[in-house]
Amino acid sequence: MLSPLLSVQAIHTFIGQFHILEGVSVEVPAGSIVALLGRNGAGKTTTLKSILGLTPPRQGKVLFDGQEIQGRRSFEIAALGIGFVPEHRAIFRDLSVEENLKIAERNKGDLERKADFIFGLFPDLKRLIKLPGTNLSGGQQQMLAVARALVPDNKLLLIDEPSEGLAPVIIESMMEAIRQLSADSTVLLVEQNFLVASRLAETYVIIEEGRSVKSGSMKDLVDDKETIYRYLGAA
Amino acid sequence: MPTALRKNRTQLIILAILALLLFMAIQGMSTKDWVVTLLRALSVGAITFLVASGFSIILGLMDVLNLAHGTLFMIGAYVGWSAYVRPDTLIDLLPPLALLLAGFLLGPIWSNWLERLAWGSRRRHLWPWAGLILALALLWIAAGKFPVAIWHAQEYTDSPIVWAQNFERGLVAESLTPAPRGGPALLALVGLLLAGVAASLSLAGLRRRAGQMSGQVAAAARRRALIGCALLAGLGLLIFLFDDTLTRFLLGLDTTLLFLIAIIVATLAGASLGALMESTLIRPLYERPIYQIMLTFGLAFIGTELVRAVWGRTGFTMPRPSLFAGTGDGCPAASIGGWFTHKCSTILLTFGEDTARIRTYNEIFVIIVGLIVLVAVWLLLQRTRLGMIIRAGVQDSEMVEALGINVRRVFTLVFALGVGLAALGGVLAGPSMGLSDAMGANLLLGALIALAIGGLTSYPGAAAGSLLVGLLQQFIIKYGQIGINLPFLDAPFKPSPPLVPASTILLMVIILLLMPQGLFGRRE
Amino acid sequence: MPTSSSPRTWLRSQLGLILIVLALAALPFVIGLLNGQSISDVLANAKGNAKFIQGLMIEVFILAIFAISYDLILGITGLLSFGHAMFFAVGSYLTGVALKSFGWSLGQTILAVLAAGVIQALLFGIVLPRVKGITFALVTLGLASVFDILIKTRELGEYTGSDVGLQGIPRPPILDPTDQRLRFYFVALAFTLLVFLLYKRFVDSPTGRVCIAIRENENRARMLGYNTFYFKLAALTLSSLTAAMAGLLNALYKPIVSPEIAGLGFTVDGLLMLLIGGMGTLSGAMVGAGIFRLLDFYFDRWFGEASSFLIGGLYVLLVLFVPYGFVGAWRARALDFRRGRARLLHLFGGRGGD
Repeated sequence: MLSPLLSVQAIHTFIGQFHILEGVSVEVPAGSIVALLGRNGAGKTTTLKSILGLTPPRQGKVLFDGQEIQGRRSFEIAALGIGFVPEHRAIFRDLSVEENLKIAERNKGDLERKADFIFGLFPDLKRLIKLPGTNLSGGQQQMLAVARALVPDNKLLLIDEPSEGLAPVIIESMMEAIRQLSADSTVLLVEQNFLVASRLAETYVIIEEGRSVKSGSMKDLVDDKETIYRYLGAA
Repeated sequence: MPTALRKNRTQLIILAILALLLFMAIQGMSTKDWVVTLLRALSVGAITFLVASGFSIILGLMDVLNLAHGTLFMIGAYVGWSAYVRPDTLIDLLPPLALLLAGFLLGPIWSNWLERLAWGSRRRHLWPWAGLILALALLWIAAGKFPVAIWHAQEYTDSPIVWAQNFERGLVAESLTPAPRGGPALLALVGLLLAGVAASLSLAGLRRRAGQMSGQVAAAARRRALIGCALLAGLGLLIFLFDDTLTRFLLGLDTTLLFLIAIIVATLAGASLGALMESTLIRPLYERPIYQIMLTFGLAFIGTELVRAVWGRTGFTMPRPSLFAGTGDGCPAASIGGWFTHKCSTILLTFGEDTARIRTYNEIFVIIVGLIVLVAVWLLLQRTRLGMIIRAGVQDSEMVEALGINVRRVFTLVFALGVGLAALGGVLAGPSMGLSDAMGANLLLGALIALAIGGLTSYPGAAAGSLLVGLLQQFIIKYGQIGINLPFLDAPFKPSPPLVPASTILLMVIILLLMPQGLFGRRE
Repeated sequence: MPTSSSPRTWLRSQLGLILIVLALAALPFVIGLLNGQSISDVLANAKGNAKFIQGLMIEVFILAIFAISYDLILGITGLLSFGHAMFFAVGSYLTGVALKSFGWSLGQTILAVLAAGVIQALLFGIVLPRVKGITFALVTLGLASVFDILIKTRELGEYTGSDVGLQGIPRPPILDPTDQRLRFYFVALAFTLLVFLLYKRFVDSPTGRVCIAIRENENRARMLGYNTFYFKLAALTLSSLTAAMAGLLNALYKPIVSPEIAGLGFTVDGLLMLLIGGMGTLSGAMVGAGIFRLLDFYFDRWFGEASSFLIGGLYVLLVLFVPYGFVGAWRARALDFRRGRARLLHLFGGRGGD
């Protein structure tokens, strides 16, 4: 079997003096969608940030594409081919839609090359290309945040809460987009909405109080009502 | 749309204030008076803007309230003055700086080599510090041994005041005594190169754990380091060898050209100082904002003391370049063409029967440079990738880093840019305001007021605020000369000059209380 | 903090403070004896080293009161004010003007200074709810600069002595700094002690706790139901009153009230004192003021011109490497030590507590 594209091995992360992650391990095989599940404050977002080095882990290893990346600067890690879609639709409000996409270019012409693919996924963005980010609706901002991660050739996408605060119709189209883009890249997804996660991901990892406690195939989890109730508090 | 409304509101307020000022100006003054006052206001505004814009970009991107900005403005003025009045000192200083930097550039070469060494853990932690101390000691000794022709602030006959007078009479070339060149000086240069090497080596050692680059990138960096080092060292030696020729050449230049060189030198010196300051002192403190403010406070203090130590406590003048200095035939000029042919210091503008005397340097050149910088920085911010990164980073620098952009390097660049602009403002202010050890603090206050009025991190706000500060200052000064008729006083009230800053500060306080985010600022 | 009822434990917990106060009270006599003066010489305010040291220490006390009042708003409540010099200068100038130009008695002057202290706090209080953080710093800096400029103007020169400073203040004979220096020394010492105890009490009181909570996280304090404005105003008022009283002592002691005390430079001096001692520690402010004045004095004596340069360098080094000041660093060390001991006891099965 091939080694996974991303392998997080028992990382410990501190924010200030708070011990946020106390041993999280995640494996993301190439070409799959993996969902990180868990309650609010369990450490899902911190796991993504630790992979990227935004909150560098103090212990443990992060292997990406066979290299150890923990302890490197964030921009170097991202440049290896990791795209990040942060929570709360963190696009650059003062930049136009086009600039929001352009700033993500790692080589000149990335955007032109990928334009058809991106605007195929999100036709709305093409129409709004000159508008400043602050004038977009919530759903459009989320689309822009995902599109921004697609501009360079990323092997792995870290997507944090793509469905948060969106209307059901928009969630549907967002899921469709994620499904399509996962055809050529690997996705590590953080999702509160279990219905969304279960329909997108093939495997899951549950994080509870800073530890990864359970992982497996999503198909099994859907039937395992007890685990869902215990760790996610949802039916 | 609410956003459009808000924008309109701020512009309406500015327009209202400007209109009121203009109205008052026309009411009490002759046309000649208010045109001159307006031009003076623009000139003061332009220089304030050069300081305020850099300050605001730094504050916006890095959240650093750089209270040393005024001092850096002042250092820019003094460095520019030195390059302008004493080009020989400048030429003397270049070789040691070039060699020190050449040694320092070798950094990337060591990191790879250090990887292969197997040190004991205790020694691994200790030797970089020892190397740093060695570097400092070498620097201290070698820099002391290298002879540099310089003035002496303590002795009146050799003080900057006298040199400025000599410059105006064209006597600098005659009164120079060239610094001795020979074996010891060359040895000192080698010492400086070694100091740079030692510093880069120990820094590479200190940074070892910070993560390594991939092979190809590292190889490219090594090659660049070697080429840069060789070029700089060669350049330094060349200047060292042709020291006298270069000095004679610079002294033979027209003063306008020399002034341009001074502007470039001061701006570059400011930019490098800014980069150095950010990368060594400010960077460790990004997590502790209050300490940053205190650090920049301390640096402002040290900078002022440095200026006092090198250039003395007494203020002096910076002679105007030849294009703006003529008073002879055909001056004051009646037209722009007349100014260029006769190189006049003043130009006459006619309004009906009145004619206004306008100083070409203060009231034309400074304003033009201010406008050029205004447009250039605006273009940089709006049209370039760096500008895009800066605007994005103002909002969320962590996300910019997550996109694969080295934000730290952008921080250093922006700090260099901001300080460079301040230094440029300093040289520019030299011939119009003169040099003194208080110029930095005064201008920082003006810039802070401008930013508070305009909005702390807004670029158009910096421009509008600077303009308003200039207008207020100059019109109040003018009214002070004419006298203000107050209801309960018999004679017109003529405020003493210190009341001018007080009134602008009061305006800032009032505006901040009414609109804490300033005219163009964003509500948090 | 558990207050113990037993007087012995109280004595033990306050031992350090009591010893320091006793040492300071004995200081003039010890210095006098070391320089061959008798105790009666010292009591008679005879010229000599003892009197000189008393003078230096009086300046330290005045600075310490100033620094601790700055610590209350900056270090305890977390208000970034750059106008603190004004609080002090208003006290000084008002004292000078009241005694010299208006011919008021000392009692009347003290009342006026206290009233001015309240008014200043209210002035900053108007600003408080509107601006925060850096903007508050700018507004306070602006207000203080206006005051600084005003006292230096020609128009008010008759009262303030403009650039030169306020000279020739008639001193009340019972508190004359030359003839009655020893008495002045003890008055200043007692006042400093009083302020210190008052501040400690304030910080330990519920009001003080809320102030600390505001520093840590103002929104959280507000969500807990506190109207943070009143607490900030209380801290400002106390701070302003104390600083104005320090200013009064300064005007009585110094031959000239120099306009320098109104400038930004004096606020920075206060900041440096806090930095040396440790912000938010109260006692750090006092220690810092002492070290600052002595450093200033001896650096000036040893290095002359270069001294301000060295002080600037020291300041930068402190910011970079000793951010919590000497008292802060000492406390952290003591804490580590206690924690280490607890862990050790725990390891051996004892009940070391946490």
